[in-house]
Amino acid sequence: MTQYLSALMEDVKAKDPAQPEFHQAVQEVVESLELVLAKRPEYRSARILERIIEPERVILFRVPWVNDQGEVQVNRGFRVEMNSAIGPYKGGLRFHPSVNLGILKFLAFEQVFKNALTTLPMGGGKGGSDFDPKGKSDDEVMRFCQSFMTELFRHIGPNTDVPAGDIGVGGREVGFLFGQYKRLANEFTGVLTGKGLNWGGSLIRPEATGYGSVYFAQEMLATRGETLEGKVCLVSGSGNVAQYTTEKLIELGAKPVTLSDSSGYIYDEEGIDAGKLAFVMELKNERRGRIKEYVAQYPQAVYTPMDPAPQKRPDPLWQHKADCAFPSATQNEIDADDAQNLLNNGVYVISEGANMPTTPEGVNLFLDAGILYGPGKAANAGGVAVSGLEMAQNSMRYSWSREEVDSKLRRIMKEIHARCVTVAEEFGTPGNYVNGANIGGFLKVADAMLDQGVV
Amino acid sequence: MKTFFDFSERYGGRAGGYRDLMREQIRHVLFVSSLYESFILAEDGLLYERVLGKFLEVTPMEPPDLTRVSSGREALRILHRPPTPIDLVISAPMLGDMDASELAATMREAGIHVPLVVLGFDHRELREFVEKRPQDGILAPFLWQGDARILLAIVKTVEDRLNVERDTRIGVPVFQVVEDNIRFYSSFLPVIYSEVMNLTQAVQAEAGNRLQRLMRNRARPKILLATTFERAMRDFEAYQDAIMGVFSDMEFQKGGVLNRAAGLNLARAIRRLQPDIPIVLQSSNPENARQASSLRAGFLLKGSHDLLGQLREALTGDLFFGDFVFRNPKGAELARAVDLKTLVKCLKTVPEESIAFHASRNDFSRWLRARAEFGLASHLRPRRLEDFASVEHLRTELVETIDRYRRERNRGTVTPFRPDLFDAEEGIVQIGEGSLGGKGRGLAFASRLLDEVRLSDRFPGVKIAVPPAVVLGTSVFHEFLDDNHLRAFALETEDEDEIVRRFLNTPLSGEVQDALAQMESVLTAPIAVRSSSLLEDSPHYPFAGIYDTWLLPNDASDPRVRLAQLVDAIRRVYASTFTRRARSFLRATPYRLEEEAMAVIIQRLVGHNYGDRFYPHFSGIARSHNYYPVPPARPEDGIVAVALGLGKTVAEGEPCLRFSPPHPGHILEHASPESMLEHSQREFWALRLGETAPEGGWPADGPLTRLTLKEAETDGSLGPVASTYSAANDRVYDGMGRPGVRLVTFAPVLKHGVFPLAEIVQEMLILGMAGTRLPVEIEFAATLPREPGGTAEVGFLQLRPLASSRGDLDVDVDAVPPDDAFCRSPAVLGHGRLALKDWIVVNRDEFDRAQSAACAQAVADFNRELRQQGLPYGLVGVGRWGSTHPWLGIPVRWEDIAGARVIVEAGFKDFRVAPSQGTHFFQNLVSLNVGYFTINADLGEGWVDWDWLARQSTLDSRGCVHHLRFDEPAVAIMDGKERSGVIVKPSRGAGV
Repeated sequence: MTQYLSALMEDVKAKDPAQPEFHQAVQEVVESLELVLAKRPEYRSARILERIIEPERVILFRVPWVNDQGEVQVNRGFRVEMNSAIGPYKGGLRFHPSVNLGILKFLAFEQVFKNALTTLPMGGGKGGSDFDPKGKSDDEVMRFCQSFMTELFRHIGPNTDVPAGDIGVGGREVGFLFGQYKRLANEFTGVLTGKGLNWGGSLIRPEATGYGSVYFAQEMLATRGETLEGKVCLVSGSGNVAQYTTEKLIELGAKPVTLSDSSGYIYDEEGIDAGKLAFVMELKNERRGRIKEYVAQYPQAVYTPMDPAPQKRPDPLWQHKADCAFPSATQNEIDADDAQNLLNNGVYVISEGANMPTTPEGVNLFLDAGILYGPGKAANAGGVAVSGLEMAQNSMRYSWSREEVDSKLRRIMKEIHARCVTVAEEFGTPGNYVNGANIGGFLKVADAMLDQGVV
Repeated sequence: MKTFFDFSERYGGRAGGYRDLMREQIRHVLFVSSLYESFILAEDGLLYERVLGKFLEVTPMEPPDLTRVSSGREALRILHRPPTPIDLVISAPMLGDMDASELAATMREAGIHVPLVVLGFDHRELREFVEKRPQDGILAPFLWQGDARILLAIVKTVEDRLNVERDTRIGVPVFQVVEDNIRFYSSFLPVIYSEVMNLTQAVQAEAGNRLQRLMRNRARPKILLATTFERAMRDFEAYQDAIMGVFSDMEFQKGGVLNRAAGLNLARAIRRLQPDIPIVLQSSNPENARQASSLRAGFLLKGSHDLLGQLREALTGDLFFGDFVFRNPKGAELARAVDLKTLVKCLKTVPEESIAFHASRNDFSRWLRARAEFGLASHLRPRRLEDFASVEHLRTELVETIDRYRRERNRGTVTPFRPDLFDAEEGIVQIGEGSLGGKGRGLAFASRLLDEVRLSDRFPGVKIAVPPAVVLGTSVFHEFLDDNHLRAFALETEDEDEIVRRFLNTPLSGEVQDALAQMESVLTAPIAVRSSSLLEDSPHYPFAGIYDTWLLPNDASDPRVRLAQLVDAIRRVYASTFTRRARSFLRATPYRLEEEAMAVIIQRLVGHNYGDRFYPHFSGIARSHNYYPVPPARPEDGIVAVALGLGKTVAEGEPCLRFSPPHPGHILEHASPESMLEHSQREFWALRLGETAPEGGWPADGPLTRLTLKEAETDGSLGPVASTYSAANDRVYDGMGRPGVRLVTFAPVLKHGVFPLAEIVQEMLILGMAGTRLPVEIEFAATLPREPGGTAEVGFLQLRPLASSRGDLDVDVDAVPPDDAFCRSPAVLGHGRLALKDWIVVNRDEFDRAQSAACAQAVADFNRELRQQGLPYGLVGVGRWGSTHPWLGIPVRWEDIAGARVIVEAGFKDFRVAPSQGTHFFQNLVSLNVGYFTINADLGEGWVDWDWLARQSTLDSRGCVHHLRFDEPAVAIMDGKERSGVIVKPSRGAGV
């Protein structure tokens, strides 16, 4: 690391010694930008890094509320408005006892680049409270949300800051927050995303991440003149992301052959078709059953139980001959051994639907092998993208059909891909989507900041 | 803890019913008479034996002891220093050394306030005594006329006077006798008491068991004797609501002088106060009959040779001491009811005019009151004929009310099985002798409690009761083993299949078979055949799930088939006494298999038919103490686990809903849609109907089937318990008003008032605790009405006292000196003692937050190895266990620490920990009874002796994680009530 960057890190730590999470996030970004800073000295002279790590505004407020026993409770509310260079602050609200300023700054900082990468006009922010919704009644959650919004409402707006949900803030909380905002501001605007479909929400939200990761794979293949048609695909997981990944793969003519849950996985050499997927959706969504029941229904498939403890390595799911892999289950599900197994089995397209499913050692193996590796940061941006599309629909006071949202999602994924490719090439690492994604998001924000002067 | 007395207050009079009656009883009588009078008595028969005999004839209560003395001095000596307390003195008028008047005065002076009654043996002598000697302190004079029942009448008259005030408040009726002629009342009173006792006996025949009979005896009508107009009026005014009839002389003292029309005056005064009270007047002047008639009073002629016979007739007729005689307005007899059952039968058929006639005179409530049916009587009394649209409406109301009452009355008691009384809707009956077993006792007790407090009355539209059950007493089990020479075989044979085979090939006794066949002819609903072993209710050794339970559809059209299936199930339950599981369980207790005996409960299942399946809307288990409370719930608020369908879901630990009854809106698992999706019940259990049992019976607990929520939705049973998940909106909506994935959340019931489940369970828990004075566990099942306005049913299926979750172990945390422990916490989840030799410790000083993932891996490795060796262990670490965030603690998953039986979570440097209530994590803690210690030493909330831990030699170390193995176990002691805990260093005397 250059002396400049080391000094910057020292400064960050000295300023906020109690925010280790934020330090780590800054360190990771800074390390990935050495290439950029060498090439773009104007960033240094405009002190873009120093500015970008400092939130534009931090709002910290008291959230008093009364519980069902009539006792007054006091929580702390936060909104970190990190960066609005390319659009209104955008980022989730988290209600969890672990919430503190350091964690929110770290999350808001990451959100700036994630949003920028979608190519949509969204700045970055994050907020929340140390309120714990666990064990609270609906009424208590409502009273808390109303009190929280009673302060927050004066700081946000459809053109200023558009919060969304995050941990502890689901459809219920977004509803309560929106209701109170509307009442206080006396206007119905798209000030929050994640709204109910019947009052301003967007279609395709559950599907977005899975569809997006398939579109990203499609784009990666297109760089080699190939399509997903006939490709054998390994999909891990069986939740939302895995289900809609599989759905889109089937639609595009690929042949998904695996699905998993915490107890094991199934391998269906004949491929999982639409009918089988419908069975899985019913099994997992309606009955919450185990994936092994798939085998009872489709006996040609093979079920392999897995020890749920993480030490069971390597994961046999990644040991099948295939073309593509869509890790859609959980963090760190692919370590170095798994990565090697994937490579050994001929897999050359990996599109990450889950968040950081591959360990750093695994990522390095993929990059060294020069395969088409779409990191989660880019490949699973579909969810964020649809949030942006919800804002767009709200601004127009118009709702798009499923097909319209899907086609726009497709276009966004295509643009994200293109951006990654261009940036990776520009910085001398062609085909390296990791660099493309890391640098691509940063460049967009940094350039906007340059354009807008010292603000 | 709530006490039963709180409960009585809460529920009012019922709990203080029969048992509070007749508080004052004459147990010891001092009989004072001269030797001469003793001689007369000896001539008339052996006094004591005669009195005793009379008592035994008419009452199941203990007759009083009798002490006989022949002088006043002797009497006073005994009264001064009685070997047993004397309750009543019966004295002859003249004693050798003093007379009864002097005796009374001396007693008063000495401060002896024992009632004194004079019994004269000669009419003239007695009259002289009464006329010439002061009567202060003498209750009343009586005349011996050769009938030993006079002693009974004296004792009862005194008792009635002592108890009348209290007992009338509870509802006991009073019969008033006004007569100043000693000779007359001395002959009437024994007749009246005999009639009262006859009536009581008739009423007792309707009572189920000995206790009920005893209670009804206490509730018999009181007789109040008055000898003057003033006394009679005072009594009438004081107890007029309780007085069911007046039997009065015509001529007696009024205003201090003999008044010839005193009886008529009294009757008029009474008529003004209570126009419809039956009155019978008696006089030696036949002309008074007309005046009596003008006052609508009966009349007896004193000079009649059959006076006592007429009296008896008047008592049983006009004064309701007998059958209910249905008459038309002209007085012609139409029908006669001897008990409640025949009363209902007659009510259905007699003409309207008769019902109107009796209703207008309040005859029904009066007759019922005479029979000690106070509840029913007071229910009917305020209803007037005019309150009903027609006599037919009244008839329907009477029939329904009395019939319902009759059924309810059989609840709360265990009565011997009688085919004619068996009711498939109510009550617990027993076939055979012996114990009911633990479960049976719990049920009988619960039934009794529910009956006493009338829990259903607090929840209109909900019937809360123990479902009707037939219990085969343990004697049936013993007979089965002994008559068929199976005992030695069963005790010695290890082969379970062989035992089942032999048992299934051995018939039950003919008598039991007959009783079961009669039961089967009435009970055609699905039934549970449940084990109820003798040892099962031991709070210290929970036998839950050790013995078999069978659920039978019981719907074959051929009663012989139903009977055969039932008998098979009974024999299988018997066989389950001797399984390996039961044997090994018993080995861990101080009991021996030979001591065990099995009663069997055959109980109607609570539920509805849905085509070919049967299940209740929901079933659950509630405990009065919650060892893992999540605020705002407190430990003493208790905890309920409830699920759609049969109770197997809850019993087997499948996904179900847990809530604290006072806080039904605070559900830990309902914090987020993901959590709800993860924890919601998705399948439920039902009983398959219309199935023929395979050869040799069903392979396990009956023809059960696992169904999905879709099927419940089709059946219409899902609505009250459902919510709907919308993936598009990432939201769970209460009810089924929107499309999406159905979940069982009980939101309509717990949040929207569809059914007062939380309130009912809370009441049941308080009731159980009040009754047992211990923490309790109850099982229940409920059905909601299918039609609007219908009745819901909550079946109370089991009541089990819990001494504590792991027995009454000594968990005195404060008794452990600080030096003897390496950890202490004021925030502990769990209860009891756990001794562990293996401990995995994350060294606080070596732990680096940036390396928490490596630390988690090391913990997981140790966990896997220890589990493979079958070694439970204790886990001590810093930060929040199970945090998904590596900066907040050690990011393990449950599987990574699943072998830990005690977990210590200590605050670390700059952050504090709160008890980890990640729901999945938490669910596992609860279901596996893991002890969980939370420590925030910086805040003064407990401590860990890290230095001591660091000094212990390690078996193995991986990074900052160390495996300690002590030679002697370190013992975690957890007090679930105080929520405090301590972990005692090895060899510090905290044995288990």
